[in-house]
Amino acid sequence: MPHHEFDCSKVIPERKQHAVVKGEGEDLTSCLPKGYLNTIPGSISERGCAYCGAKHVIGTPMKDVIHISHGPVGCTYDTWQTKRYISDNNNFQLKYTFATDVKEKHIVFGAESLLKQNIHEAFDAFPEIKRMTIYQTCATALIGDDINAVADEVMAERPDVDIFVCNSPGFAGPSQSGGHHKINIAWLNQKVGTVEPEITSDYVINYVGEYNIQGDQEVMQDYFKRMGIQVLSTFTGNGSYDELRGMHRAHLNVLECARSAEYICDELRARYGIPRLDIDGFGFKALGDSLRKIGLFFGIEDRAEAIIAAETARWKPELDFYAARLQGKRVCLWPGGSKLWHWANAIQEEMGVKVVSVYTKFGHQGDMEKGIARAGVGTLAIDDPNELEGQEALLRLKPDVIFTGKRPGEVAKKMRVPYLNAHAYHNGPYKGFEGWVRFARDIYNAVYSPMHQLSGIDISKDDYATDKGFVTRRMLSDATLPEADRASPLTGYTGKFDPIAALRAKTEADYPEFARKTSTQAAE
Amino acid sequence: MNCEVKVKDRIGTINPIFTCQPAGAQYVSIGVKDCIGLVHGGQGCVMFVRLLISQHLKESFEIASSSLHEDGAVFGACGRVEEGVDVLLARYPHLKVIPIISTCSTEVIGDDIDGVITKLEEGLLAEKYPDREVHLLPIHTPSFVGSMVSGYDVAVRDFVKKFARKGPSNGKINFITGWVNPGDVTELKSLLAEMQIDATVLFEIESFDSPIMPDGSEVSHGNTTIEDLVSTGSATHTFALNRYEGGKAAQFLEKKFKIPSIVGPTPIGIRNTDALLKKLSEATGKPIPASLVRKRGVALDAITDLAHMFLADKKVAIYGNADLVIGLAEFCLDLEMKPQLLLLGDDNSAYVNDPRIKALQEHVDYPMEIVTNADFWDLEDRIKNKGLELDLILGHSKGRFVSIDYDIPMVRVGFPTYDRAGLYRYPVVGYGGATWLAEQMANALFTDMEHKKRKEWLLNVW
Repeated sequence: MPHHEFDCSKVIPERKQHAVVKGEGEDLTSCLPKGYLNTIPGSISERGCAYCGAKHVIGTPMKDVIHISHGPVGCTYDTWQTKRYISDNNNFQLKYTFATDVKEKHIVFGAESLLKQNIHEAFDAFPEIKRMTIYQTCATALIGDDINAVADEVMAERPDVDIFVCNSPGFAGPSQSGGHHKINIAWLNQKVGTVEPEITSDYVINYVGEYNIQGDQEVMQDYFKRMGIQVLSTFTGNGSYDELRGMHRAHLNVLECARSAEYICDELRARYGIPRLDIDGFGFKALGDSLRKIGLFFGIEDRAEAIIAAETARWKPELDFYAARLQGKRVCLWPGGSKLWHWANAIQEEMGVKVVSVYTKFGHQGDMEKGIARAGVGTLAIDDPNELEGQEALLRLKPDVIFTGKRPGEVAKKMRVPYLNAHAYHNGPYKGFEGWVRFARDIYNAVYSPMHQLSGIDISKDDYATDKGFVTRRMLSDATLPEADRASPLTGYTGKFDPIAALRAKTEADYPEFARKTSTQAAE
Repeated sequence: MNCEVKVKDRIGTINPIFTCQPAGAQYVSIGVKDCIGLVHGGQGCVMFVRLLISQHLKESFEIASSSLHEDGAVFGACGRVEEGVDVLLARYPHLKVIPIISTCSTEVIGDDIDGVITKLEEGLLAEKYPDREVHLLPIHTPSFVGSMVSGYDVAVRDFVKKFARKGPSNGKINFITGWVNPGDVTELKSLLAEMQIDATVLFEIESFDSPIMPDGSEVSHGNTTIEDLVSTGSATHTFALNRYEGGKAAQFLEKKFKIPSIVGPTPIGIRNTDALLKKLSEATGKPIPASLVRKRGVALDAITDLAHMFLADKKVAIYGNADLVIGLAEFCLDLEMKPQLLLLGDDNSAYVNDPRIKALQEHVDYPMEIVTNADFWDLEDRIKNKGLELDLILGHSKGRFVSIDYDIPMVRVGFPTYDRAGLYRYPVVGYGGATWLAEQMANALFTDMEHKKRKEWLLNVW
């Protein structure tokens, strides 16, 4: 077993089981770190809590909802405005957050009447919003407030509102992943099947495990609509509460982030017989294959092929411009959960960026299986990494760029490793064909930043050139490039700063109209 | 009376202005050298606070969690504090101070962190680390009491309480800055240097404005040392600039060691800076030097270009930490502006008796509202539904959408200010801060005039 022992973690021997280096000829039977175990106290892990996994990751992207946390104000404040999951209703869920503001007296005497009053106040403040999610926190879980009972009371008093309750306190699990699970199952148990949706297409999907980071969902939804597919609901990015109550009527669950949302797909399969199809919106090949698979499922492959052909023709040359200049660049791919396997192979195959390390904060062994299988020999894989291990790995691996979260990105900055935000993206969306070019562009901009080059010069010691008043990215990236590539007439990405605005401006008339099958044909 | 002080008239919070107590204690902890706080609670209580502070400072730093999981919540989690302390000491050889910071969950389950510390001191530290200088201290910051502001206040007191020792007078003053930015510390230290006053600055976060070095070796850290903290017991005076962010420590030192304390003024604006310098001069016998007369003059020169021509009568709403909000309101009044609404984001019952608030009530000659336990809905609801008209908002980044959606210019000030570049580098205190604030406000108004094409031609001549 090629476990990797960090020097900084020799004093906590169990950590050795959580890191491996993939060796020559090795596969998953011989190199898989342990995963999703309790965190070692004081290790300075990067994990969050089960409350944030439920509320912050999965609950809040739902757009037409009052999201209220039952607890002291901090949980709410801390998980507010730290994500880039936008929505097409002027970002209501991003702008407004609600806390019941539990104080000491409530801890002593109970906070159920406080909660009830809060619910009324919130609905009164936003009369146009009729849906609410309530999230339990550590404090209110421990004092044992019956949130469901309060919600039922309010729904009886206000028949036009509907309330979802998520009991996932911060301590409920080793990481945010515990909360993903809890909210998946809670939504299914409480809400799926309570609304009958209108079916407008012969091909009906739920788009699951997609959070509309910088507009990802809207990009993908556009492809689906161009294929004549009805997206019944999105769980949960840019998703609508009532649409998600009708998930049971889809023909297919198209699953993006399996880490956070496979639970609901698996249960929808068990309870309603809806098949699950795992897809991948990142990378030309993976995305193309995904659209093909969906097309194949419904017997409309031609529609998928038409989109793939058009998008590839439009964007592939620009991707290739970057790919030629990113060959051999080494990356530490250190996201939260599923992106380690969504990206591992695709960036290598399509941009030539070599993954030298993957890590996952809250992933399970299954995520590592996929990540390690897709990564090359020599890749260092770390489960539940901590501060010192991250620094040691960066010193050892000396990557050209790192994809990780904001705060670890600051650590990398000091160590002179350019960083891209793997969770919120730098200038996304990154899904879709155009999005993948945007990702390549952001990597290129990070790696070839003239400022990055300057930051490595010690003016007190080094002999440095003074013959140039400026250096462009192109001067740096093309210095060692073959003549043919250098001569490219392209200059990189030509899309807009905000590609989502154009998608939102589209009307039904902008989408092709496909004839519905007759009911007999459909029955066959 | 034109100026009314009221408590928010709703029970719940829509868009909170503050986070909870442990965040304040964590902010204090990063100001101490060779210190890593261990927050006893769920992981989110640390992960998000680190994210928040790192967004503000654009830096990283270490804070640890005891990682409370389900078993600990049910059976008690003191063992996780013991393990956490051991893991931290074993892996961070330079580490000397570990504050154990409680949260709502571990206060509710009743974990005895004071008892754990005694146990660790007698057991782990004596047995495994006998030759190592290690200090553990409990900081009780249940999230259902107070706010991040009181958490800061409590933590400053507890650090001082832990370390302060009475020795022969060190001839220095204690200088507790309150919750400020690296740029504020630089400005304050320059005032002290001009006055030739030797001071122990608590908690010293100046070097969180730190470089990328060519060898990639730079690590940001606080500069308040154990020696600094010990010596607070031997100081001649304690200056706590912010009543609610260090006032408790000043009281403690006065009571325990008979060190006279001077609480306030928050040195925002010319007048408050003048007052601080005078108090410093009175306490130390050091004269205010001609260099500060000049520096003050430079600030007044800049502000005179702005105040009665552009800033006068501008209506402003201010929210955030109480000392900051009050200081800004006072400065705005000196600038001939009209603060309309002051939002203080927690339920501290002392605010209503604050002499500065009493003075506002006595002298403001137009309608002004001061709301305690306030949230952002107290601001937005007044704008959206109750006819509040504003020319400017002063406050931190969490209120950004009020400014964006209602198209009201806003100057970012306070904590956090992650949505504007580099603000941690600039002071709002001292003469330098007065200049910077006045110019930021003026430039925000100028940009707004051009953006809305409202007398945008005005600045053709200035």
